[in-house]
Amino acid sequence: MRWVRVSLFACLLAAGFLLSQVATGDDIADRAKRLHFSSIVLDTHDDTTQRFFSKSFDIGKRNPDGHIDIPRMREGGMNAIFFSIWIDGRIMGPPAVEKALDQIDAVHENVIKYSKDMVFCRTAEEVRRAHAQGKIAALIGVEGGHMIGNDIRVLRMFGDLGVRYMTLSHFYNDEWADSSTDKPAHNGLTDFGKDIVREMNRQGIMVDISHVSDKTFYDALEVSKAPLIASHSSCRALCNHVRDMSDDMIKALAAKGGVIQINYEKSFIDQAYKDAEDKLSGGVVEMMDQLKKECGDNDECLNKKMTEMTEKATAEGKLPHVSWERIIDHIDHAVKLVGADHVGLGSDFDGANMPEGMDDCTHLPQITEALMRKGYSDDDIRKILGGNLLRVMEANERVSRELQAAR
Amino acid sequence: MSCKPRDNKMKRRGAPKTLLRGDGRLLAGIVLVGAMVAATAADGISERAKRLHFSSLVIDTHDDTTQRFLDGDFDLGARNALGSIDIPRMKEGGLGAIFFSIWVPSRIIGREAVRRGLAQVEAVREQVRKYSTEIALATTADEIRSVHQQRKIAALIGIEGGHLIGNDLSVLRSYASLGARYMTLTHTGNVEWADSSTAKAEHNGLSTFGRDVVREMNRLGMIVDVSHVSDKTFADVLEVSKAPVFASHSSCRAICDAPRNMTDEMIRAMAAKGGVIQINYHVSFLSQEFRNAEKAHPEWDKAIALEVKKRCGEREGCQLIEGDRITREYVLRGDLPRVEWTKIIEHIDHAVKVAGIDHVGLGSDFDGANMPFGMEDATKLPQITNALLEKGYSEGDVKKILGENTLRVMAEVERVSRELKALK
Repeated sequence: MRWVRVSLFACLLAAGFLLSQVATGDDIADRAKRLHFSSIVLDTHDDTTQRFFSKSFDIGKRNPDGHIDIPRMREGGMNAIFFSIWIDGRIMGPPAVEKALDQIDAVHENVIKYSKDMVFCRTAEEVRRAHAQGKIAALIGVEGGHMIGNDIRVLRMFGDLGVRYMTLSHFYNDEWADSSTDKPAHNGLTDFGKDIVREMNRQGIMVDISHVSDKTFYDALEVSKAPLIASHSSCRALCNHVRDMSDDMIKALAAKGGVIQINYEKSFIDQAYKDAEDKLSGGVVEMMDQLKKECGDNDECLNKKMTEMTEKATAEGKLPHVSWERIIDHIDHAVKLVGADHVGLGSDFDGANMPEGMDDCTHLPQITEALMRKGYSDDDIRKILGGNLLRVMEANERVSRELQAAR
Repeated sequence: MSCKPRDNKMKRRGAPKTLLRGDGRLLAGIVLVGAMVAATAADGISERAKRLHFSSLVIDTHDDTTQRFLDGDFDLGARNALGSIDIPRMKEGGLGAIFFSIWVPSRIIGREAVRRGLAQVEAVREQVRKYSTEIALATTADEIRSVHQQRKIAALIGIEGGHLIGNDLSVLRSYASLGARYMTLTHTGNVEWADSSTAKAEHNGLSTFGRDVVREMNRLGMIVDVSHVSDKTFADVLEVSKAPVFASHSSCRAICDAPRNMTDEMIRAMAAKGGVIQINYHVSFLSQEFRNAEKAHPEWDKAIALEVKKRCGEREGCQLIEGDRITREYVLRGDLPRVEWTKIIEHIDHAVKVAGIDHVGLGSDFDGANMPFGMEDATKLPQITNALLEKGYSEGDVKKILGENTLRVMAEVERVSRELKALK
């Protein structure tokens, strides 16, 4: 892979010379590096949590596989990460709660284990403090409302354990919210689902509308008193996938102060890839189902198989190559649509198929440089890298304080 | 939750009619006696005692008020006619920090115990959020002090019974993450890894896994609570724990021979490791006479349990309050002996003589036990300060008993936790 990176870098340099009349390519590269490594680079969606349960994974060491570990986060200047708590959407009730708690505990334990490098954060202020101390801010997001087991007290407990966002559904409908990849059962959010959103506002847990159906999205937007996030979704205008957001949705999200955190998954960012994948496996849910049959509950196996399968299909020409630059296209589309205040990064590292050139988090500085070459201001780039998400967190914290004081 | 009648409640049948008659009169009697006691108590407290008490950090390490949160008809923010604890009465009694106890009966185990335990932790945290202008959650000794400086009540969480972790260390860690700062290893029944003082020995104290639980608690900075456990479990814990341990609500066996109390030898051994015995106010742990009378009439115990069930059904909070009220009816009728609050002072004084001033504190068992006369609720706490001063205790010594000893244990447990975490 080394030569790919080198030649890519050469291309970028060349492009830089052509694009920029004022600065030399080297100037931009240096400036981008300085900007990137002085910024808070926050990723709102990483499935690394699943790996904590594998004996072969150690987040403190450089791993030959996967996308995230402390040495690589350091190298890529990624200094704030939302560890995703996730179990299959078909597991419900007490077992779902129990497994979610196990995962939350695993995040806390890993943070304690590597407390020299990481610090657990619950607020935007804490993330900033972690950054000032040169530590990686670790945060928690729960990916799927099914993990509260239909019990609002469990939601509060998650909040108390430091969970700072919850995706309302995963691939399957909850008993109170429709998913974008399941047949509608509730016409969006049920009354209980609306109560959940209100309680999340009260607890200062950001409402994440990635994965939910369009109707659920609009319902959540209407009910929520605080800005929402899409923790890992891209733009439907560029790749027509239900997991992505339409321009109208992005505009509505932004109008309420929210932010779309661009997902790097190939089938969410590239239309040709998505079409080919649909033809091959019938879609992402079907593909995951097939892999689940082979791997059971072993998520480590699942990720490995998924990578192998797509690599093989790509080598055989059944799936097209997708360049990491598609990520930039999606960022740029969203920025053109709603402005630089409403776009961020939600990689889906360790949980998705990464495009070529974004093999792991060490490649993140490329994003900063590419945006700079596109003429983005330093301020705008900082916002996209993490500033916007921190603003939304702060707004949620404020709403939470107000609601709690109002009682 | 040491109240014996409650523990036996499930086994009874048939209501004693005598109890149901003349309820009103009995209640009037209780109110009258209560008012008289309050009046004399208020008069009897010296200015010096008041000054000392209300400038001290008064900590109570065991209160079963949590059960009342779940009943749904209790408001912590209002002055309640029943029970011993609410915000107005804590303020009146100068109670500055309280450990809310998380408890389910010993027979409930596994996932159900975990579910209910976590829901109770959440209920405590929810009350704290609801009354955030008056209470704040505290998880360290420093936080208790800073909450106290803000003139708020510090709320802490203690888990009463190892069965609440469902044999899973990750659940133990979840409790710690949610703010729990001690765990009593057992309640009245054995857990799968530790023997209780009120059940037949099964594990010869702590099992291998039980030892792991203690080590993990050390690492997490949770105080290991030896109230309720068997003498052998206690000895094992003392051997394994790297941090001081405490008895969150136990009294002295030398004065009242209950297995739930501690022998002088145990108190000394615990003190030698820096620990503290937090004196329990439950009448059958304070008074041998009361205990003997209870033992002589096991049928009363049954009748009380039955009446409790009748009044409360499955509502645990109600059961605890009514158990205390009905027991008092027996006392007022002259069936059970009347135990005065001064018995608490005897136990404190005994423990101080045995182990020294640095190793005694307060663990009332309010809202979970039968209170002696004159200690009906948290408003009566200044009497303790007054009585100790009258006994000749120095102001510094009284402060230690009221809370400083507990804070020292917490700070030490936190220090050990930091060390153990740094080792990883």
